[in-house]
Formats: sequence, structure tokens, C-alpha cells
Amino acid sequence: MTQHASPPRDSTGKVQSADGAPAWRGLMARADVRTLSLLGVLAALIVIGGITKPDEFLDTRNLQLVLTQASVIGVVTVGMTFVIISGGIDLSVGAIVALASVWATTVATQEYGFAGILFTAVIVGVGCGLVNGVLIAYGGMVPFIATLAMLASARGLALQITDGKTQIVTIPSVLDLGERDAYVLGIPPLVMVFAVVTIIGWLVLNRTTFGRRSVAVGGNAEAARLAGIDVRRQRLYLYLLSGLCCGIAAFLLIILSGSGQNTNGNLYELDAIAAAIIGGTLLTGGRGTIVGSVLGVLIFTTITNIFALNNLQSDVQQIAKGAIIVAAVLVQRRTASTT
Amino acid sequence: MPELTSRRGLLFGTAAIGAGALLVGCTSNESSDEPAANDQPAADDKPGKEVTIGFAGPQADHGWLNAINDNAKSQAKKYSDVTLEITEGSNDTAAQIGQIETLINKKVDVLVVLPADGKALTQVGLKAMRAGIPVINLDRIFNTPQAYRCWIGGDNYGMGLNAGHYIGEKLKDKADAKVIELAGLDNLELTKQRTQGFDDALKNYPNIKKVARQAAEFTVESGQAKMAQLLQAQSKFDALWNHDDDQGVGALRAIEQAGRDDFLMVGGAGALSAFQAIKQDSGVLKATVLYPPTMAASAIDLARALGQGKGVGGMAEFEIPASITLYSAVVDKTNVDRYMSTGFK
Amino acid sequence: MAPEPPLLGMNGITKSFPGVRALDGVDLDVQAGEVHCLLGQNGAGKSTLIKVLAGAHQPDTGTIRWRGEEVTLRSPIAAMRLGIATIYQELDLVEHLSVAENVHLGHEPTTAGFVVRGKAARVSTAQLLKRLGHPEIEPGRLVGELSAAQQQIVSMARALSHDVRLIVMDEPSAALDPDEVDNLFRIVGDLTAAGVAVVYISHRLEEIRRIGDRVTVLKDGRAVAGGLPAKSTPTRDVVAMMTGRNVEYVFPERPTQDATGGEPLLEVRGLARDGEFESLDLTVRPGEIVGLAGLVGSGRSEILETIYGARKPSAGQVLVAGRALKPGSVRAAVRAGLGLAPEERKAQALLMLESVTRNVSVSSMSRFSHGGWIDRAAELGAARAATRELSLRPDNPSVPVRTLSGGNQQKAVLARWLLRGCRVLLLDEPTRGVDVGARAELYAVVRRLADEGLAVLLVSSEVPEVLGLADRVLVLREGRVVHTAPARELDEHRVLDLVMEGSPAS
Repeated sequence: MTQHASPPRDSTGKVQSADGAPAWRGLMARADVRTLSLLGVLAALIVIGGITKPDEFLDTRNLQLVLTQASVIGVVTVGMTFVIISGGIDLSVGAIVALASVWATTVATQEYGFAGILFTAVIVGVGCGLVNGVLIAYGGMVPFIATLAMLASARGLALQITDGKTQIVTIPSVLDLGERDAYVLGIPPLVMVFAVVTIIGWLVLNRTTFGRRSVAVGGNAEAARLAGIDVRRQRLYLYLLSGLCCGIAAFLLIILSGSGQNTNGNLYELDAIAAAIIGGTLLTGGRGTIVGSVLGVLIFTTITNIFALNNLQSDVQQIAKGAIIVAAVLVQRRTASTT
Repeated sequence: MPELTSRRGLLFGTAAIGAGALLVGCTSNESSDEPAANDQPAADDKPGKEVTIGFAGPQADHGWLNAINDNAKSQAKKYSDVTLEITEGSNDTAAQIGQIETLINKKVDVLVVLPADGKALTQVGLKAMRAGIPVINLDRIFNTPQAYRCWIGGDNYGMGLNAGHYIGEKLKDKADAKVIELAGLDNLELTKQRTQGFDDALKNYPNIKKVARQAAEFTVESGQAKMAQLLQAQSKFDALWNHDDDQGVGALRAIEQAGRDDFLMVGGAGALSAFQAIKQDSGVLKATVLYPPTMAASAIDLARALGQGKGVGGMAEFEIPASITLYSAVVDKTNVDRYMSTGFK
Repeated sequence: MAPEPPLLGMNGITKSFPGVRALDGVDLDVQAGEVHCLLGQNGAGKSTLIKVLAGAHQPDTGTIRWRGEEVTLRSPIAAMRLGIATIYQELDLVEHLSVAENVHLGHEPTTAGFVVRGKAARVSTAQLLKRLGHPEIEPGRLVGELSAAQQQIVSMARALSHDVRLIVMDEPSAALDPDEVDNLFRIVGDLTAAGVAVVYISHRLEEIRRIGDRVTVLKDGRAVAGGLPAKSTPTRDVVAMMTGRNVEYVFPERPTQDATGGEPLLEVRGLARDGEFESLDLTVRPGEIVGLAGLVGSGRSEILETIYGARKPSAGQVLVAGRALKPGSVRAAVRAGLGLAPEERKAQALLMLESVTRNVSVSSMSRFSHGGWIDRAAELGAARAATRELSLRPDNPSVPVRTLSGGNQQKAVLARWLLRGCRVLLLDEPTRGVDVGARAELYAVVRRLADEGLAVLLVSSEVPEVLGLADRVLVLREGRVVHTAPARELDEHRVLDLVMEGSPAS
């Protein structure tokens, strides 16, 4: 989960267990400055929220709300983090979410019920990711351009499918998942999916050959190639993964909003990139953490929540969001240069 | 829906029907399930001079805009003497200018333009007028009256005003009533106008206070997200005005998810789903304020009348008015059936 | 009469980058009106030195005196203000701007401080170009439309548009044909006649003979000779200073028997790449170290990378233990047991943000994983074993690889292939950027690996290294093998002659 670049300071021979230690201890030992500073920001926000709106903010329902609102963009951000770590970028995530959500909610799809909607959302996401991946890995296109093209086409296709209309979901089993009755031990199903995706993402990045290869490709693609890694295939898989996350996010969004609309996922690409960067992922690739990205998402969602509870208007919200991105990156740079 | 073709109806009357019905001089009455829903008796539905109408609108990426296109097309189809030249919708100002210039070069008889951006398209409106092609400016207004022969559009301020009055009347006997507002995209002037009208109306009711306002983005997703936050912020309130029925789908979803039903909700625009909910009367949505897409049908009628050199029926003047502001009627359970066919998806 | 202080005096300049000491106490003095040549191989520290001089790098220690006064060059602008202009090899022109705009970039003639007087800029540019002997270049043309040689002239005009006292030219003749080189020399002559000093960097010795006054030779970040007379120092001495050793290394002993037994492990048949190297044949047996000697541009690195599959050959094939490899496939080569330690270690081999462990295990991940899940304890253990075998320091594979010295970084690369169980090791400039003291240890490691049965193919521009380490030597010149012999039958002078002249005559 953390930055592997900062060595255990007291490497006198005793503390060299960092790589082999049990997971929780590795987690503690390597919870680096960056992750801690993000937790600090989140804690500060919770204090601000608690002071300004003690009753509304410090409330189980509000915690459920914040986590639910974070789920959709959170799942997208996990996929985006992998792509950025590998030195790429995926500008099409918002458009893929839109396309998957409308394709999965057409009258024809809804005839197949819950499974039809879930299956379609995931397949559309993976399909778009496949196209991105093939264009980038084997077509030699720059990720920025390939995914920009996907952004335009997927949005266009989503518009064509809906004809600009809002597609209401009528499948009770889908809608019920968004209701309070579906909460298990107070946890909304959407949040559970988000948590599972986060944990799987963390494991894949830190414990599998796939994660290692992603980091290696992003850190130094030429070195990875000369070390015998199939860089192209790895890139293909990474965009597939991002597409898969978009498909899952689209399904969550369908549950949340009870509908599919071609305007869904508006500017998700920027939110996901911003969250990943704030979370400590290098835009140039080679380093990044899932925990950092998820903290980035939670920070943004919490800010929005505090602003809404305090009835601040969109202009102030946008200004603050920009300021926070700049501040977070500056703080990171400082910590990076001092370690 | 009988007496509405009166003169008062013409100028201030219910927009949805009235707008279509104004042009008694040239309307027809064929089917009742067309979006235009103009069931009014027509004074002149006989085929007249052949008219070619050019129609240019923005990209239909939103339910209301889509309904605009549908209304224009189906209204044109009613007339054997009307040929409609409709362009690919575009949100790009430059692209739309190009499309309109193409229509000018084709020498259409009348132009109907719903600009993506009224100010930016003023020049091309002027150009058409100078070329002798009368322009019907639909909804988003050009900078100068010289750029159009007739403007027809909705009343954003009036929407807010009527929503405010409706809520005010419902709550006027309640002490310390609280109201919240779920606005549309804050970048748009029309959102500011709607909010202004709403606030002005509420000033007439000293017992009512607006306690919160958040802006969504006219999308279901943003409606759900912002409404969920508002519900968390305000544990108790009496009424909600939501600017747009599309984002209202998301807002209603959030209300349902929060399990709240202790307030009344008024929507905006006039979507079919909203009408259905109002008719069922099983949820919080009790009314919606119209911003009728039927104005596109009326614009086609106006264009046809202009092309054939006729005036508007039901008015003493020979000429078609320079400006027609539609009335933002409040649709509630009492009159929803009449509007049902105008609801857009 | 006190002697005139030199125009520029650099003293004891050091500059380190993570993992490598680029400059190690360099002295350089330049007199007004002289052409001072800077010689050295790639990586000797020339470009770092001129960047320090241009204000683009700050030295760690050392002093810079300008006309006798100590100065600090905080930025390129500060250097420019003093009158130091630099013409880089990678021309730093803006292609989408005109010639005049490029020449005056950053100091445009203006009215009231911000309105650019385009005409004034074009007129003064035209004058400069005329002075440089290229009046045909129109000041209004886009730089992107010009030829490489013309761009060079524009770059020079830009340098001269300032009030310049010293011009640094980094391989200015590389992109020019002979006529243009003559013109360049004429310009250099005009400049020095006007009292301007020129620091001239080139690989071509004959150029230095023609225009140089004095020569400073850099090697491994040190000035091994300063201020030699450019016209009278023998070529052989200069080359020896550039490539040879001033320290005697301890090379490991060769096995008493030549590794003639056994089938060749690596066999290259008629391998060629258009424009890089011609039909190459070679064999390497288990336990044998074969060396390729040649200067920069002789095709050495290209040969190794082609054998490794990183470049696609235009002809020929590579066989490992008798089986032909799929051409142009690194994965096929790695699977067959090839391993490459490339020349540009940081750019081509190392994951600089990662730990030693991960750098070592990257090519053998499948050995520690089950269904994609990595057994990190096994990985760490294996990485530790491999790095210990090579005595990598520090003895902690969890540290980031970027904190290691150059020699230990190279060991990390070797450990990677050791762990992978590779049978043929391709070494490209294995001691580039490695401290002098650490080299002997690295040589011993390579010899031991060979003794354990690996076939090693070694490429180096350092002739003593090839002669000391390899069993057999192939001498390359311009992409062709000009001589093959057992290392013990060759000496440095003979190899240098072969490398420079290409004829086996001594």
C-alpha cells in the first residue's frame, strides 16, 4: 500500500523484515508520510464537519451517505490508479460509465432482470476497456488520444441509445439494493462493493505478479521490456481492468439513481485522476497506492458533504476543490523532497 | 380544455396547450397522442402555400431538448404544405452557425432556431433576417430583436415565481415553515432567474423561510447526490422545489432511499414521469411547474403562418406578435390529465 | 607585470547525482581568444561540465572565476549575462517560431518593454546570419523548415546575439557535411580573432588538430590532462588518455585451459542490422568470456541488443545451445536463458523507485508466485541469496535500488539474471559509472560466473577492460569485425590501432 522508496530508517539489520513481515505490521511500518498526511487531512475535515454541523455530520446516516456517494467514483478510481501507476491515463472512464449504465437499462436489457443489467454493465465496461487496450498496446496510440477518442464515441453511443431520455429502472431486485432495508449491519451494499473492490485492488497491486508488472511498466517501460516482461500485454490488461471497474461502477450508479442516463459519469475522469494524484500516485507512473487513492476519494466526498451540510454554493465548492488539489500536491512534493 | 382559446388564453394562458392553440389561423386538429397535444379547434387547417421551414437546435442530450425536437417534427408532419429541414443538433456554436448558414443558402422560407448559446448566435440570426428569411427565435434569446421576427420561449423567472406561490399557498397557515431548493446547473443564467423568482414569491409569505439550496446539474446522478446531502442537512422541512424533473428522478430516488415523506415537493419542466407520479399521488411530488417543450410545435405553427403571410387567430392584429412568453403553469393532481400527453421522457 | 588572469578558471568542480559522481574535482582554465578542446568518452563528464558552465547545474564544490573574480552561476540567464553562451548538441530551438524569433528568444527588442519590434529583430538577425556566412537563411522562416546545418547556424546566431565572451560548442560538427565544417571553422577563427574564447567539444581528433589551441581530457569525471598543446600531442597519447587506464586493475586470473571443450552455448550466424553492423558471426562456449572492443559508433551496443532480441535483425540468426531464437523477441531470449546488463543501466535495466528485491526478482516472478500471488518471503529469501552471492552492499535487499552505488546497482542487475538462472550473460559497458575501486570486484564476479559455466559476451570501449577480462577479443570498427584473437595475444596499442585505423598493421 505504501511508498516503497522510503527505506526503513533504522536499517541496522533488525528492521529489514519490511518485505517479509506479517501484513499488519508491514502496513504499520510502511504507512509513509504521504498516507499519514492524507489521514491527517481527512481527520481535519472530520473535525471541521463536526464543529460546524455536529448533529448532521457526526451521524451514522451521514457516514453511510458519504461512503455511498464515494462508492461509484471510488471503484472507478481504483481502476484509474492502476492505469496511472503503469504510466498511462484513461480519460474515457466517465463516458464508459455512462455507456454501460444506459446499455444496461434499455427496455430490452431490463427484460433479463437483475442478471441482465449486471452482466451488460460489466460486459460493456470490459468491452470499452478492451478497445482502449488494443489501441494503446498494439495500435501504438498514445493513451491520452486513444481514451479521448473513446470518451467521445462512448458518450455519442450513449446518447444514441437513450435518445436523450432518462431510462427508469423497473427491476425491484436492483432498486432494492439501494434502499435502507438492504443494509447489512448498517453497511449499504454499494459500500460493501466499494470495500471489496478496494481490498482486491490492494491485494492485486501489492501481492501479485500483475501488480508488480504494472508498477514496473510504469516505472521504466524499457527496463521492464528488457527484463522480459510482456509490456504490451500488460498494458492491454490494465485498460481492461479500468473498463471492468467502470462497468461495476455503472452498476452501482444504476442502483443508486434507479436509472440510466447518457449524462452519467460527468467528469469522472478528472475526479478519479485528481483523487489518485492526491493519493500519491505519480502521474508519470511507477508509484502509487490504492489506499492513497481511496483516501483521496473520501477527502473529496467529505468536502462535498460538509459544504452541502453547511449550504455553501457550487461556486465556493469548486474554488475550494481546486485549492485543495494544489495544496495536496504541494505538500506531497515537499514530503517527497525531504525523504 | 375548452375555453382556453380566448384572448387571455392567447397571451397568458396555459402554455402547453395555449401555445399550440394560439395560431388558430393555421392549426389543425388531427390526433390527440402527438406531443404537441393541440386539441383546439382550428380555424384554418386547409393546405395553403407550400412553406419550407429550417429548424436548428442544440444536441438533444437532455429529455427536455429531445422533446423540443419531437414536438417540432410531429407538428410539421401534420401539415401537407410544410417541409421541415432539420439539422443535426449541435452544442458547438461554430457548428450551429455553419448549419444555419447552410439553411440560409438553401433559401428556406422561415427559420426556427433554438441556439446553443443565444448571444453567440445573434450574428447569424441577423444575417438570415437581412437575407429576407424571417427567424423564429426559440427560447434562448438573441442579443437584439433585430435578429428575429418573433421570439417564443419559456419564462424562467415565472417558473420560480409560480413554484413559490404554489408552495406558499400550501404552507401559508403553517408557522415557521421551512423550504429547500434543489437548483439546476449554477453556471446557467436561467438557474439564477428561477431562483430569483422563487425567492421573490416566498417574500409574500413571511411565515416561510428558505433554509437551504444546493445546485445539481440537470442529471439524475447529480440530483440523487445533491438531494441525499440536502436530506441529511435538513432533518425537518416542509417543502422542496426542484428546478428540473430530469434531475428530479434522482432526487426522488434519494428521498425514497432516505425513507422521507414528511414534506411536499414541486418539480419543474413537465416530464412524463413527474406527471405520472403526481397523478398517482403516492409520493412527495405533488406538482410541477411547466417549461413546456410544446413551444417548438408552436414555433412551427408560427413559422408556417409567417411563410403563408397569415396572422394569429384569436387576435385583433394582422401580424404575428414580436414576442411570446409562455406561461409556466402549475400542474397538480387537479389538472394533470390535461397535460399528460405533453409530458416528455 | 602581473600575468593576465584567465578568462575562465574552474577549480576542483565536483558534481554528484544519486548513485554516480559525474565530476570529481575538475579543473579547467580558458584564455580569451583561444580554442580550448574538451575530449572524453560518453559519460566522462563533458556534458555535466558544460552544464555547470552554462549555469544549468550547480556544482557541489569548487570555484568558478570569471576574469579573475569568483562568480556563482545560479541560472542559465546569469551565465548569459556574463557573456557565456552554450550551443548544445541537442539544439534547443523552438521549431514553430521563426529564425528571428528564435535568435532573440528571451531578449526580444521591444518598445516600451513589451511590444516586440519584429522588424528590428529581423534586421539584426539578418546581420548576424551574414556574419556567420549564411545570408541565405531568411529571418522570417520557421526554424522547423531548416536543415540541421542551418539550425546549427541559427543556434550560433542566437549565441552571438548576446554580448558574448565565451562560447561552448558541444559537438557542433556532428550534423555538418565537410563544406559546412569549413565554414564553421572560419567562424570559430573570426570569433577568436575578436578575442572570444571557444570551448570546443568533439570526438574527431583531426578537427582538434586543425583548430584547437589546447586540449583538456576528461575521464570518469576527472581531468586526466589539462591544457595540453592541441597540435603537437601525439594522437596515440590522446586516445590512451581517453580510453585507457591510469590505474592498474587487478583482473581475475583466466582459467589455465581455454574453454574449447563443450558445444557453443551462444552462437550468432550472419547477424546484421542495416546501417548498424554487418554480417556478424561469433560463438561463446560455457565458461568463456568473449569481448567486443570498439569505439563509440562501432555498433557494439546495437549488436548486443540485437542478440538479445531488443532490436530486430535484418539478417541472420541467434542460437542458444543449438536452438534458434525467435528474432526480435526479448521474451524468447530471456526464456532461452539470455540476460542483458545494458549500457544505460538506469534507463534500461533498473526500476529506480523500487527496492533491490523487486529489481532482482522482476524477471523471475513466476518462481515465487502461485496463480499470480507472490510469496513475498520466498522472494525476499531468493533475492537475498542472489545479492549475497555477489556481495552486494548494503546487505539489505529492502533498500531502494537508487540508493546503491553504481557498482552495486550493476550487481543488482547481475543478481536478477543469476536468480533467473540465465546461461548467457550479455554485458554492455559493465563498469560505466562504477567507481574505480569497485571495478576489480565486479571483474571477479564476472569471471566467477563464467567459471560456473555461464557464457559471457562483453562489450566495452575501455580496451584494457576487454583485454584483461575476456578470453577472446573481437575488434569492431564501423560495424565490422576487423580482427579476432585470444586476448593474451593482443595488447592495448594494437587494439587501439585496429580500432582507429581498421587495418591490422601495427
